[in-house]
Amino acid sequence: MKTSYVIKRILLTVFIFFVVVTLCFFIPRIGVSDPASRYYPPQTAGMTDEEYEIIKEITREQYGLDGTTFEQYVRYMTQLFHGDLGTSYQSGSPKVIDCIAECLPWTLVLSITNLLISLVIGVLIGTMAAWKRGRWQDRALLNASTFTTALPSFFIALLLSFYLGFELEIFPAYTDQNMVSNFDWSWEAISTVMYNAALPIFSMAIGGIVSYGQSTRNSVIAVSGDEFILTAKAKGLSNNRVIYGHTLRNAMLPIVTQFGMNISGLIGGAVVIEKIFNWNGMGTLFLTANSNNDYPLMMGIMIFMSAFALVANLLTDFVYSLLDPRVTIGEKR
Amino acid sequence: MKEIMKKIGMFFLRLLGGIGSFFKKLWKHRQGRVGLIIAGILIVCAVFAPIIAPYDPYDVTQRAEKGLSPSWEHLLGTSITTGQDIFSMLIYGARSSLSIGVITGITIAVLGSILGIAAGYIGGWVDTVIMRVVDVLLVIPTLPLVIVMTNVLGTSYAVIVLVFAAFGWTGLARVIRAQVMLLKNANYVKAAELMGASKWYIMWRHILPAVSNLLIMSTALTSAGIMVAEAGLSFLGLGNPEAVSWGKMLADAQSSGAMLFGHWWSILAPGVGIFLAVFSFMRIGLAMEEILNPRMRKGSSMVKVFKHLNNTYLQEVFDSMDDGSKLKGEYATCQINESPAGREMLGCGEYMLESALAEGKAEEPVTEKGGNDESAGS
Repeated sequence: MKTSYVIKRILLTVFIFFVVVTLCFFIPRIGVSDPASRYYPPQTAGMTDEEYEIIKEITREQYGLDGTTFEQYVRYMTQLFHGDLGTSYQSGSPKVIDCIAECLPWTLVLSITNLLISLVIGVLIGTMAAWKRGRWQDRALLNASTFTTALPSFFIALLLSFYLGFELEIFPAYTDQNMVSNFDWSWEAISTVMYNAALPIFSMAIGGIVSYGQSTRNSVIAVSGDEFILTAKAKGLSNNRVIYGHTLRNAMLPIVTQFGMNISGLIGGAVVIEKIFNWNGMGTLFLTANSNNDYPLMMGIMIFMSAFALVANLLTDFVYSLLDPRVTIGEKR
Repeated sequence: MKEIMKKIGMFFLRLLGGIGSFFKKLWKHRQGRVGLIIAGILIVCAVFAPIIAPYDPYDVTQRAEKGLSPSWEHLLGTSITTGQDIFSMLIYGARSSLSIGVITGITIAVLGSILGIAAGYIGGWVDTVIMRVVDVLLVIPTLPLVIVMTNVLGTSYAVIVLVFAAFGWTGLARVIRAQVMLLKNANYVKAAELMGASKWYIMWRHILPAVSNLLIMSTALTSAGIMVAEAGLSFLGLGNPEAVSWGKMLADAQSSGAMLFGHWWSILAPGVGIFLAVFSFMRIGLAMEEILNPRMRKGSSMVKVFKHLNNTYLQEVFDSMDDGSKLKGEYATCQINESPAGREMLGCGEYMLESALAEGKAEEPVTEKGGNDESAGS
């Protein structure tokens, strides 16, 4: 990797972030000349227009929407530069960043566990399918993938919560809200969380497992035709050594890329699932903000998600070029 | 004036002929036929909903007792909240799902091809601007963005279609751009340029036909994707509140306690509707891909395609592209999985291989005997 390339890439990332923030600033202002007009209280009967103007002015100040658009923009950017995403319109006006900090861990619990389960089981299944190519294991994986790609994960979640949650009552169909308030890192609290998270994670992981399985299978099959695998077999290595020691190791690169791409969607990907299970994460936070017309919170969440995705993309690119010596980013041969 | 009318007429005739022969080919393909039959049934349901459906879900007078179980009178029972006939809602629901999916898919195809061709063929600052816009849109999480936009602009059909299209063209534009950059060096395009053809003429007569296969295929696949997204949006209660849609049916069933009462049919029915719609369009898209791209039938994977490309040639291709590094990072994931990025890049790879073969920079890939023909079957 050339240093100039790295610098160029980082500058581009900063530029994109700047554009995203600008976009997020202007979206709530589409179609309305005065964004504060959404929050004006209705004019009561005995109120003169001057009095109503004063009330409007107070509302504008209260929501931080006073001054011209340009002044607001400058203020917004300065705040952001100091790490302040603004103040939510919720009662008690908490800082947006605090709301995010409160909900982020709960989303990460879901999405990270989901990603790891998908990865591990998917790679195992995919390797097996590649090894038993054309046999029933392989066909089962292929058929599963034609189904899971067409099944939205929220429908899987509904079915699971219906069958496992309501009919068999094995797992809770709704999240126990005490779990969040009473969380104290005790073993008991952690196990409650895992018990409550089982269904959401499972309903997301089904699609993930199949998708990782399919990529692993194809990658393993592609690699297993290579000469060095033949050499390994000719050396008289056991089947397991050939698969896990040689084939899988070389077939992992595409999986790493897929993993990287999934990481960038780690916090924005579970909005609907969180709603179904009433999970207290970023998705629920966003939906609540939406129904409250709480624009600073919504935009704060979007900026945060975008920043996360940007950093993840940047890191994936760099890690990938370190992992695969064949890929030389930004260098001409 | 007459000339122009004649030209337009010819264009549509050609288009119709192309589509006709295309459907014939699709019908011969096993997966394609399955997709066509299911999609056909759904389209008939959507168009003739008032005739097929036993009740009119929009008519308040035609509501029965709430939460009935399936019977001959109400094949799938009635909804718990309103007492609407679920079977009729299922048929009416095909309207919103299919119309939004297909219209958005076509809009995206138009937008994506215009921007992709412009970026790839004109290049320069046009390319830079379009690609930076793509970069920005790819980073912002889609569903939250769509939710915010519907909050700001309202939830009418037009807004939903426009918002999905405005943020959904990026993937297609990127693939088309990559293909066009390769096409730009094709001999027949060079020849046309030398003969003094204008840029518009070349884009319209040479570049567009060359990427049209990709466009048709991706329209089917993006339509399927949009249907899932639309179902998710209306499940969240953010779709058109007046229309009957599958996502909203699911949401109503869930929030009214259908699970608690054991009304599994009221959850299964709309879910199966969504599944069939998405499934059929995906099958059609994938079948098209195999028909249009015969090399795919051999179960090719990106890794395989690239293996046969001469390494230095590959480097040349990557270097010729501005976001070559991104391509490089992604190429390896491009097996035949259903990930759109994978499919897109695979199409590119096929094309690269094609042109590399023509220029003698790669060897013809040896297809292995037996196995690995699954992508055509089942």
